[in-house]
Amino acid sequence: MSEDTDKVLDSVIESQAQNLELMEKLFAVAQPGAVYGEPVASGEYAVITASEILVAAGSGYGVGGGPGAETLEAEAAVEGEEDERTGFGGGGAGGGVSMGRPVATINIGPNGVQVQPVVDVTKIGLAFFTTIGAMLMMLGRMRRASGG
Amino acid sequence: MTRLREMVSWQTTWGDGVIVGDVTVTPQSKALVMHAPFGGLVWNRPVAVLVQRGELTERIPIVDVTRIAQLGLLALSVVFTVVIFILSAGKRRS
Repeated sequence: MSEDTDKVLDSVIESQAQNLELMEKLFAVAQPGAVYGEPVASGEYAVITASEILVAAGSGYGVGGGPGAETLEAEAAVEGEEDERTGFGGGGAGGGVSMGRPVATINIGPNGVQVQPVVDVTKIGLAFFTTIGAMLMMLGRMRRASGG
Repeated sequence: MTRLREMVSWQTTWGDGVIVGDVTVTPQSKALVMHAPFGGLVWNRPVAVLVQRGELTERIPIVDVTRIAQLGLLALSVVFTVVIFILSAGKRRS
C-alpha cells in the first residue's frame, strides 16, 4: 500500500477513535450525576441542585482516492505520455449542541427535605408573549375572513 | 422494531445517596438516549428524590414548573386556534 493510503487510513482510525471518545462522553450525561449537583453543606443544612440537560452531537467522515499509479502508467504507455496523477484525501466534520437548565433545588435540613422549583421567568415570559401574539394573529385572520 | 429500541431508549436511573444527618437522599433521573451511527442525543432530567429517615421512606417528585407553564401556554394557543377555526368555519357557512 502506498504512503498516502496509509496516511488516510491512519486518519480514519484516529477519527473513529475520537468519535468513540466523544460518544462515551456524550452518553455519560445520561447518568444521574450529570443532573444533580454536588451537595453544598452549611451546618445542618445541605442544598443539591437539579438541572435538565440536553446534549446532542454528530460527526461524519469521508475518504476518497484517485486511480493508482500502476493504472495510469498502463494508460500512459498506451497513449505515449506519462501521467502521475494519483492521490487520496479525506475530510471530516462534527457538530453538537448542549443545553442545561436548573429545574429545582433540594433543601435538606432538620425540618425535613423540601424540593423548591426554579422558575425560569424569561422562558415563561417568552412563551406567554408568543402565545398572545399567535392568538392576536388568529383573531385578526378571523375578523378578516368574516369581513371579506 | 428491535433496532429502533436499540437506538432509542428511556433510562430511569438512581444516583448515589447523599447522607445529611440522619437523612439519606437518593436522586432519580430519567434520560432519553438516542444512538445513531455517527452521533447521538441525550436528554436527562431529574424526576424525584427518595428520602429515607430511619424506617420511613418518602418519594418526593421534582416538578418542572417552567416546562409545565410552557406546555400550558402551548395547549392554550392550540385550543384557541381550534376554537377560532371552528367559529370562523361556522360563520362562513351561515
